[in-house]
Amino acid sequence: MPPSPTTYRSTEVVGRIVVGVADIALCDDPSRTLVTYALGSCIGVSIYDPVARVGGLLHFMLPESKINTEKAGQSPAMFADTGVPLLFKGAYELGAKKERLIVIAAGGAEVLADDGHFKVGSRNRTMLRKLFWKNNILLSADDTGGSISRTMILKMSDGEVTVRSKGKERTLWST
Amino acid sequence: MVDIDQILDKIDRLPALPSSVVRVTDMLTSGTTDLGEIEQIVRHDEALSMAILRQANSARYGRPGRMFDLKQSIVRLGGKVLMKIVLEQQASAMFVRAGAAYGLRRGALWRGALGGALAADQIARTHGFADKDLCFLCGLLRDVGKLVMDMHFGSEYLSLISKHMRPEGTFVECEREAFGFDHAQIGGELAGRWGLPERICKTIRFHHEPPAEAPEHDLLVDIVHAADIICLWAGLAIGYDGLQYKLAPHVRDGLGLDRREAELDVSLTWCRLREIEESMESALVQGDGS
Repeated sequence: MPPSPTTYRSTEVVGRIVVGVADIALCDDPSRTLVTYALGSCIGVSIYDPVARVGGLLHFMLPESKINTEKAGQSPAMFADTGVPLLFKGAYELGAKKERLIVIAAGGAEVLADDGHFKVGSRNRTMLRKLFWKNNILLSADDTGGSISRTMILKMSDGEVTVRSKGKERTLWST
Repeated sequence: MVDIDQILDKIDRLPALPSSVVRVTDMLTSGTTDLGEIEQIVRHDEALSMAILRQANSARYGRPGRMFDLKQSIVRLGGKVLMKIVLEQQASAMFVRAGAAYGLRRGALWRGALGGALAADQIARTHGFADKDLCFLCGLLRDVGKLVMDMHFGSEYLSLISKHMRPEGTFVECEREAFGFDHAQIGGELAGRWGLPERICKTIRFHHEPPAEAPEHDLLVDIVHAADIICLWAGLAIGYDGLQYKLAPHVRDGLGLDRREAELDVSLTWCRLREIEESMESALVQGDGS
């Protein structure tokens, strides 16, 4: 069974672990698939160690926890700056090694004609890149931007990551 | 192109508005709270009674070491909170199974409806808008048109709309190109058939395209429009339509909505939604989407 700390709310349906909004799932069972739906301006981050066959999926909503530190304490996966460290730490605890991790991101879309006022999706992307740059982590693939909704799927058997949008699916990473 | 009335006439079983919602809506729009009548509504509905008991005995309203029974719970919560519980519960029955045409999983449309209600309530409070309960109601019902689209087009919806999808166009524009009308228009019409007050119908009708100029301009519509965008940023009920909507500049400027306030509203709305879901012990599948 995947670890289920109290802050994680993922649900499981026949081998498929559904990661909700502001949620994380970590897994070391190759028979499982992690999936997160409805990535709009939110970003899904998947990590996978192909040797340890350990991985995780985060669905964060906003870039910075300082906007609401009280809620960040209760739901750290809501924000990039609190959720991303939790994702990586959880994977390391399951035996993943940083240097082997395959890291993928999807989402970060924008509402139309934002004109720079809010740019929630862009700010999410920028914060993610900043966190990765500071920690020497490279993105292996990403599918971000636009105004579309995305579903992100991580197969724990081989680390394949696919993104589905408007009924069409494409592979972002595979062995 | 298809006429809205024809579609509404053609559907055998239009989504019904529960009588309890009609009664509560009457109270909200008239500004009167009849606790006795609410008690009557509640006593005939086991799910509602359970929800009220849970709420009254929750960490927010309860008292350690004491359990309130239904009658005590009704008094303890008061009319406004009770009306919201009635609306949340009854709207759940309407929305929870719908949304497949838009690529939404079971429960996603309901989460979006409740999220809209909570976001509208939050914005109304921030701006001291007197009709915050009406904001809650309109936020909750704003996407009833998607129920009709769901019932009428079903699984054909995606193939019909796909040809008209343009990255630069809003989704309601794409719907109008594809069908001759959009889900907000048909939602407004449905609300009219339900006999809801004109102001509520208008809010549903214009929640994606709020009128900027008097006499059509209405702060209620502006707030529900902003709440809809807050829901998108909170990842609620995002389906094939994605984020293909615009925040009207006059709403952004009129409400003084800046980045900080918007993100705070997003986080508060989402946390409140989670609290309610937990208190309802909802069987909804977590995570919405396409």
